[in-house]
Amino acid sequence: MTGSLAERLGAYLARAWGEPVQVETLARISGGASRETYRFDAVLASGRRPLILRRDPPGSLIETDRRSEFLALKSFHGQGVAAPEPLILELEGAELERPFFVMARIDGGATASPFAPDPYAPNAAKLGEDFFGALGRIAAADPATLPIAEACEAPPLDGCWRRELDYWSGVIEADELHPQPIVRAAIRRLRRSPPPPAQKLSVVHGDYRSGNFLHDGQGRVLAILDWEMAHIGDPLEDLGWAMDPLWRHNETERVAGMLPKGEAIAVWEQASGLTVDPAAFAWWELFASVKGQAIWTSSAKEYRDGGYLEPILGFSGWLTARRHDEILAAKLAELGP
Amino acid sequence: MTPSVAEVMRGCAAALTQPPSPDAGPDYFASRVGMISTLANLAAQEAEHAAAAAVAENADIRALFAQAAAHDAAHGGRLTRAAQGVDVDLTLSALDEANARLRRLLIELHERVEEVGDAALDRAILALYVRMAEGRRLQLGG
Repeated sequence: MTGSLAERLGAYLARAWGEPVQVETLARISGGASRETYRFDAVLASGRRPLILRRDPPGSLIETDRRSEFLALKSFHGQGVAAPEPLILELEGAELERPFFVMARIDGGATASPFAPDPYAPNAAKLGEDFFGALGRIAAADPATLPIAEACEAPPLDGCWRRELDYWSGVIEADELHPQPIVRAAIRRLRRSPPPPAQKLSVVHGDYRSGNFLHDGQGRVLAILDWEMAHIGDPLEDLGWAMDPLWRHNETERVAGMLPKGEAIAVWEQASGLTVDPAAFAWWELFASVKGQAIWTSSAKEYRDGGYLEPILGFSGWLTARRHDEILAAKLAELGP
Repeated sequence: MTPSVAEVMRGCAAALTQPPSPDAGPDYFASRVGMISTLANLAAQEAEHAAAAAVAENADIRALFAQAAAHDAAHGGRLTRAAQGVDVDLTLSALDEANARLRRLLIELHERVEEVGDAALDRAILALYVRMAEGRRLQLGG
């Protein structure tokens, strides 16, 4: 392929939209570790459109399906959840050589590092209501009626936990470079004490957490990002992940740096119309930390396989992996034999 | 442990000398350099503490194996032999190799302890996990 990325993208969009398109101000940004993310403006006869390009990288933190990400966005855009509008999905790569999709860009919002102290002050509580309320609305939706059902298989209600645990324990099995007794003990515990069947099937965002959304600084979520791990499963999965201690900004009282746990659950229950069974939720909370450790295990392997060139993979494989070992060890000790 | 401090430091150096992509915006470039800086700071912590942490963890695991004599026969006497081990080569690579062997045996032991319901030893292993994780802690800005 010849020409700059902007020229090739412009040629693709002109072909897709059937009119001349000039791509301007294209620049790679940090956004999601599993796709190359670029911001750009598409200039058409009708005006300028602020857009985002998400392209598959040569190697990525997690193996994800760009089609399910695109369809998840399509499922919730304009449905009371701040999902950016997906516009074009290209699975073959065409002029850009690797699969990609284009979606609308939301300007003016801020993201927070999940490791920054108190990043949402002074509107953390208000933001928490919006954040956990939106998650409740995602949980309330019937996935069978949504576009994501075209790409994601619906597991049986009593099989959600097993599918997820099998997948993520398989990732650890495949990618582990140094023996990890703590997460393996957690996996065995999860298998010994499975949760009750899901109360319903829901769309699971897969990475719904502090740091993965844009907010306006006034307590409102502007855009929920990084839907690349979206699937259909138990709605408690996302809630457990969102409340994992890793995403608590080193706080003990509030979850996700926003609300006390009980209040966050109440917001979610009201928005979803579902209830949180404490025993079931305890399983999904422990699972969240196992899943996190699996992701960091995978990133450590990719850091090595990629010649140690991607610092975010090294960071994930190092600091966050060790933090999750601490979280898992504390949970296991608290649960006891 | 993975990655090792040597791998991370070589990675930081390699990432810094990599020519920037023509499409990388200034924000992306700043973010990438910031991440390299963070990794280098973490590597400084690891360089200071990794050997001591590995020696302490290996000794802790060996001490637990010494408590687990009741299970030694099921493991072909390997617990007793491992419990008598000593870290002589104090390079990080040698300590990590020894640690990997000890951790593999610890996983086997814990599986058996769970199977037979040895609650006392199970609790001891869970407490060991807490110490192991705390001993390997890295801190942002530390």
